Amino acid sequence: MTAPAAERALPKPFVAAFVYALRLCVPPKRAVLLALPCVGALLFGLLAHTVDDPTPVGRFTSIIGPLFGLILPLACLVVGDAVLGAEVRAGTFGLTWLSPVPFSTIVLARWSAGWVVAAAALTPALALSAIIAGVPEAVGVLALATVAGTAAYLALFVFIGATFRRAAWWSLAIVLLGERLLGRVLVGIAQLSPQWLATMVYAGLGPHGYQVERSGMPTGGAAVGRLALLTVVFVVLAVRMIRRSRPTGGGE
Amino acid sequence: MSALPSPPGPVDPAFAEGATVVLGDASVWFGPKVALTDVSCSFGPGVTGLLGPNGAGKTTLMRAICGLLPLNLGTVRVGGLDPRTRREAQRSLALVPEEDASPGTLSARELVRYTAAMHGVRDRGAPERALAAVDLVGEADRRLAEFSKGMRQRAKVAAALVGEPSILVLDEPLNGADPVQRVALIELFRRLGDEGRTVIVSSHVLHEVERLAGRQIVLVRGRLAAAGDHHAIRSAIADRPRRVLLRSSDPRRLAAALVGVEAVTGVGVEGGDVIVSSLRAVDLARALPGLARGAGVRLLEVRPLDDSLESAFRELVR
Repeated sequence: MTAPAAERALPKPFVAAFVYALRLCVPPKRAVLLALPCVGALLFGLLAHTVDDPTPVGRFTSIIGPLFGLILPLACLVVGDAVLGAEVRAGTFGLTWLSPVPFSTIVLARWSAGWVVAAAALTPALALSAIIAGVPEAVGVLALATVAGTAAYLALFVFIGATFRRAAWWSLAIVLLGERLLGRVLVGIAQLSPQWLATMVYAGLGPHGYQVERSGMPTGGAAVGRLALLTVVFVVLAVRMIRRSRPTGGGE
Repeated sequence: MSALPSPPGPVDPAFAEGATVVLGDASVWFGPKVALTDVSCSFGPGVTGLLGPNGAGKTTLMRAICGLLPLNLGTVRVGGLDPRTRREAQRSLALVPEEDASPGTLSARELVRYTAAMHGVRDRGAPERALAAVDLVGEADRRLAEFSKGMRQRAKVAAALVGEPSILVLDEPLNGADPVQRVALIELFRRLGDEGRTVIVSSHVLHEVERLAGRQIVLVRGRLAAAGDHHAIRSAIADRPRRVLLRSSDPRRLAAALVGVEAVTGVGVEGGDVIVSSLRAVDLARALPGLARGAGVRLLEVRPLDDSLESAFRELVR
């Protein structure tokens, strides 16, 4: 039997901030928004059957680009904006800011809560898309790429939330204009792009991955390492930016 | 927390003894809009009222004290620490913001428990005591979004109290409270001040702050306009010139009679009404009935034209 809320021990600050962020991540509207890309992933799995390729693996590989270039960033954006940017805009972040808890703890709690939600929603969706496409052997590497990709994206979006008041628009602009458009032609940008690096994880480790390999990009384990490095860099930057933020929701 | 030394020299009412919060030439602006200009003052144990009309800079000052806003110029120190950069300063601070700065999806109990956890409170009974202090235990499991404004204010006060802060910053905390709760909250804030905590309460209602705070600081247009006890503030406001509208059965005859009155500094007739200027409004009020009677004029209406608190405050910085 669980103790009533009034009698339960108070959690440590990190746990409190983590649980608080978990609750923020999944209000009903956000849950619907998060469900859309997940459903999209399943539809891409079905669409793979229509691709003109003699093998299921070949067909599935043709949808890796949209899975990591569209589904992954959009789902992460929904969650990443919720864990910080939306709170800063609403003026409710001051509740957390006005505590003696170090900014690093706050950012880590927010990032990890968002990562858990995004990874828990996307990993099964992408794995199911592989199964629907008839390539169950891709499930493992898809899961690895998704977990690493969501980690980096959540760190990026937490950083953007700490930096810009219109975090959702900035995030969308960075994903669509920066990563998709510029990243497609400039390998230097792609090397810093979570969606391109997640694709390269598949390129190095997935069945028929060579079909999506891109020259000048790390693949497989090296891409995972790069994503981990990006995650750390964005988290550190987010801590720096949150120190300078004005978490008031607007001037007087 | 160690108290900071008061500034030397003659006693300046803007500076408190044993100050725990000190502002030095604090200025804040948002683009072209100046919110605070060279505000130097301090706050010490007890309740201090922060008075001023809407837009005077009270909220900006309170946010700056809590570190939520950076100063463009000047300094703010809380227990000797910069609240913007030193996280440990937040251990002794609590803010009750005027706006709804808590997610409506949380219940009052969740809000208070979250605040307690973030302040490292280990006593599991502390949240219930804080809720009891604002008489909210019975409603504590309802979502904040379902609360009235007054109840949300009380939930925020409970969240502020749970960490046992030595400095409480309360931005219009009585807004939305019903008369019974208003009395209870005023009593609570006074008790907290009597316990030796620094309690800073903002309001634009003069009499409300007079009931709460022995010491008051008045802000107008981002400037420190007056400081001291409520007698000093009252007399500063009373000495200002006032304009009074008189509606009567014969405005011209009344205006002529008013010309000879010592308390009157100017008389005019505008659209059938007499507009009187006076530096001694009380004397004018006393003289007016007899004067009208003597002139054979019936007074229909006597209305101060600039008696809002805002206009009174504005006079202080002229």
